[in-house]
Amino acid sequence: MRELSHLPFLSFFLLLFALLPFLPLGIWGAFLLDVGFFIQLFTAMALSWDLVARTGQLSLAHGAFFGLGAYGAGLLAPHVGTLPALVFGAFVAGAGALLLGSVTLRLHGLYFAIASLAFSEVLRTLALKLAFTGGPIGLPVPPPFGGVWPLAAYYLSFGVLLLATALSLWAEWSPFRLAQAATRQSEAVARVLGVRVVRVKLWSLLLGSLVAGLSGGVYGMKTLFLSPYDAFSLGRAVEALVIPIFGGLYSTLGPLVGGVVLVGLEQALRLWIKEGYLVVYGAILILVILFLPRGLVGLLGRRRG
Amino acid sequence: MELLLQTLLNGLLMSGVYALVATGLALSLGVVGIVNFAHGEFLMMGAFLSYLFFALQGLDPLFSLGLAFLAAFLVGGLVYQGLIRPVLPAPELNQMLLTFGLSILLQNLALLLFGADTRVVAPSYQAATLTLGPFFLGAVPLGAFMLSLGLLFLLQVFLTRSRLGLAMRAVAQNRLAPGLLGIEADQVYLLAFGLAAALAGVAGVMLSVILYASPTVGFIFTLKSFAIVALAGLGNLKGVVPAALVLALAEALVSTYLPGGGGLVEAVFFLVLFLALVGRAWRSP
Repeated sequence: MRELSHLPFLSFFLLLFALLPFLPLGIWGAFLLDVGFFIQLFTAMALSWDLVARTGQLSLAHGAFFGLGAYGAGLLAPHVGTLPALVFGAFVAGAGALLLGSVTLRLHGLYFAIASLAFSEVLRTLALKLAFTGGPIGLPVPPPFGGVWPLAAYYLSFGVLLLATALSLWAEWSPFRLAQAATRQSEAVARVLGVRVVRVKLWSLLLGSLVAGLSGGVYGMKTLFLSPYDAFSLGRAVEALVIPIFGGLYSTLGPLVGGVVLVGLEQALRLWIKEGYLVVYGAILILVILFLPRGLVGLLGRRRG
Repeated sequence: MELLLQTLLNGLLMSGVYALVATGLALSLGVVGIVNFAHGEFLMMGAFLSYLFFALQGLDPLFSLGLAFLAAFLVGGLVYQGLIRPVLPAPELNQMLLTFGLSILLQNLALLLFGADTRVVAPSYQAATLTLGPFFLGAVPLGAFMLSLGLLFLLQVFLTRSRLGLAMRAVAQNRLAPGLLGIEADQVYLLAFGLAAALAGVAGVMLSVILYASPTVGFIFTLKSFAIVALAGLGNLKGVVPAALVLALAEALVSTYLPGGGGLVEAVFFLVLFLALVGRAWRSP
């Protein structure tokens, strides 16, 4: 029942995002819509990262899945249209996740963390070097649906957020949650209890990477231009993991709250700080791990008793 | 044939520094049991220390070697006391997140302070070469290679001959028993983590001359060191030197023989890591 009590909060957040373009915001309207776009997209990334973290795995490859989805969708969009291209991008990210996960998820957790970090670094190198990606020059991406509908990118990102929230809620309410929690707390015990540990981890990673790939695809259609340094930036992985940790791990509400606060803050701070804003995320990560391991949601929960 | 031998020679000379950095990483992983994503940042600090002393005081990097060892040891000790020790009882996920956060923080702090430019320390002997028949040996890479091997030898003597070194190996093997024998595990952890940082710091000074100092130079070496450690086997110090040799030789061969290999060199470590993990996954049930 504890999970159900979050439902009004969740619906309120989602309703706010759905109606944001129609609120009377005056001259701030365009800016807030942009902020809302990035909040939705990076919150979806955060939810997809949390999905993997629920099995105790530290994914540092979410920037890579994001980039794979962005390039997959961006390369295909001029030929097949917006939605098939997005699905293709997500599948490319999923294929990357399966390749990475099938080798590393059988091993001790630290191998996956290390390999996922290396994976995201090497993909940036490849994107810079391979011929069809446009290399360091970058890749132009057409706007969604030929650009006829100005709000298309916003509602695509809303769709990704809805999908991520639905997946996260499903994983929270179904027996899958128990399998994930058992895997996280002790793999040996989970195995004895009949949980197929490797399969649970692989499914979580696959679902997470599909959402991250979709986010990347929508991102490219908003910025209309991709470069390896931007699409495969380590900063994406950092954002995707700081948000749930700040908001509260292993929940749906935590990443949502964390996303609204942190991405909103980042968009505001970026008006002043151009480079090196990741210092803030590094500091938040260290402080929260040391002093607030249950995140904002944990703090509120404790206050209410 | 001469090209091949020259390539192998270049790889061999580079492997010393690789082994030095990776040994530090293996030490913190094997003894303290922490996956230190910030290991390369100690290297980055050493490189910038060398650069700053050279640019501001005209100090020869040879002097910076000792300074960097002490400074990195001190910083490593502080990091252990302030950040690592509190999370030792926490789940592994939290430990990894903490060191990753530290790495991100230090990298971007360096970016804010120094900018993204690469800076080279260029003492008068930087470009000096020795001729060995048809082959060329850079004096600086050769010196760095010898120094790395010397340090690794000293570490080996320390770990096998001194009481403190034996205590360190005891703690690495068993978490509980050394405590019953009167070994303060916490102080051993502190020493091991400081030592690991110091090795990286010294390597940073060498790399500021061989390569460059930049905010991301440490991060690259963290990844390469992880590849070496994964190939050697976790916490296996003896396997680090041959594994470092494999990586360095593979990189040298790719940069010489692959057309346009200059950029793909940075992908070799992933291939080594991936193959090492595939091998490990096959062997494990």
